[in-house]
Amino acid sequence: MSLLDVFGDGFARRALLEAVMVGGLCGAVGVHVLLRRLPFFTMALGHATFPGVVLAALAGISLFAGAAAFGAVVVVVVALLGARERVDDTSAVGVTLSGAFALGVLLLSAQAGFSRDLTAYLVGSIITVGPGDLVTTAVVGAVVLAVLAALHKELVLGAFDRGGLAALGYPVLALDVVLLLVIEATVVTSIPAVGTILAVALIVAPAATARLWTERLRATMALAAALGATSGVVGLLISLQWRVAAGATIVLVAAALFAVSLVVAPRHGLLARARTISAAPGPTPAG
Amino acid sequence: MNLFDPFTLPYMQRALLEVLVLGALAGAVGVLVVLRRLAFVGDALTHTVFPGIVIAHLLGRSVVAGALAFGVLTAVLLTVLGSHRRVGDDAALAILLTSFFSVGVVLISRTRGFTADLTVFLFGRVLAVDRADLAQTLAVAVVATLVLALLHKELVLRAFDPEAAAAMGYRTRALDLVLNLLIALVVVAAVEAVGTVLVIALIVVPAAAARLLTDRVAAMTAVACLLGAAGGWLGLAVSFEVSVDHDLRLAAGATIVVVLVGLFLVAAAVAPLRRRMAAR
Repeated sequence: MSLLDVFGDGFARRALLEAVMVGGLCGAVGVHVLLRRLPFFTMALGHATFPGVVLAALAGISLFAGAAAFGAVVVVVVALLGARERVDDTSAVGVTLSGAFALGVLLLSAQAGFSRDLTAYLVGSIITVGPGDLVTTAVVGAVVLAVLAALHKELVLGAFDRGGLAALGYPVLALDVVLLLVIEATVVTSIPAVGTILAVALIVAPAATARLWTERLRATMALAAALGATSGVVGLLISLQWRVAAGATIVLVAAALFAVSLVVAPRHGLLARARTISAAPGPTPAG
Repeated sequence: MNLFDPFTLPYMQRALLEVLVLGALAGAVGVLVVLRRLAFVGDALTHTVFPGIVIAHLLGRSVVAGALAFGVLTAVLLTVLGSHRRVGDDAALAILLTSFFSVGVVLISRTRGFTADLTVFLFGRVLAVDRADLAQTLAVAVVATLVLALLHKELVLRAFDPEAAAAMGYRTRALDLVLNLLIALVVVAAVEAVGTVLVIALIVVPAAAARLLTDRVAAMTAVACLLGAAGGWLGLAVSFEVSVDHDLRLAAGATIVVVLVGLFLVAAAVAPLRRRMAAR
């Protein structure tokens, strides 16, 4: 069976399209997540949307709406907890993450069928995405990319120099909230493809890989988007060929790309660094 | 509502003992996790032991051995990867966490009871803890407590002043590895019985609450141990009473987490009062 024959079926074509769109979107957003050191927060968002999904399923409304609403609540809670002087950001995220997830489990366990449909939300089910999911992904992706493009200069300045951004008269807090909402929208959009737990991988891994290859920010974003889409397609093909979980395979491809880059990338790769160190003995300069 | 009645049943007694030991152990290690801001490391370890559990399960070997192998592997990789500047701690963690977890999901997706197995891993089965589980948890607790007691001074110094620790000749990298291994031990001891979500809650939430209530590390550790154990006890009792008397099923593990978060919120509310009294 040739690889492309797989995509004769409607479900596989839809899955392929979803993988390309989600991969590209996550890659581009991931660069901002890394710049602001938000991977743990992104992880927490993935977990924290869970009670929203459960509530939406019980109420019979759109799962997207439920997840998005709860994600927004978590953004606020983390911001409030982290603002207290004695609760550092990491602990605030940890408390919120486990509390929100447990709330979801509690809601679910109070219903009769305990493990109903749970797995699909946790680790994704890209094979079963419908036309509606594709439209949502396309619309959210377009909006997110438009926001990132329009606010590129401000968001990047905010990541490197918050004081400078405030001094220039920009609304720093509003920009922070916009970025967090963009991340939240991306996580929620990725749920059908890779699930709540693994969404963070598709956001962080391609961006971290791209950062090993190039220093320029726009190039990093383009490369990260390409890597994300590639991971999606290759992972999907492998999972269809060998009948293993699709979301997890996509994540493993993204991680493999990162691992290879970590070793062979010019300048920042381990091999290149080992060569630099042996060429110039003594401590390497910071940065 | 009675806090003692449910525990006349043998399986409730075993569950109570398990959460009391785990609550105290996780509270003690959690103080270091919170002081070092390593909540993400704890979260990562709860996910990276998953493939170990799956492989051990498929091979018919001891689940704890599999989890331990992957926990140690993660602790070592974290310590090594964290020193690469261009990658950064948190990115390395996120990638490690999700890729290890994915290996577990891919392996287990080939088996038939996929959904049920994953659910147990995430949410645990604290009411089905047996004597062997208890013995394993106790053994791990003893080892972890010994290490904590022996290296307490060094680990706390490393948390507050890494430069001083290095200047005094302590090997900070080795201390980091020890702490990562300690977290891995707690996770391994707890994960099969109570699930990943409860483990991370037991580690982070009581310690974060204790940090709100006191400034001294020794007191913080004591408070965190007490809160962890108390949350476990209360959560089990509430889950049992509500399920039996009111016919509303509440998952035991999740109820414990919600009770712990409730205790944390109480601590957050009380903390400003305490400081005002101290300032007077």
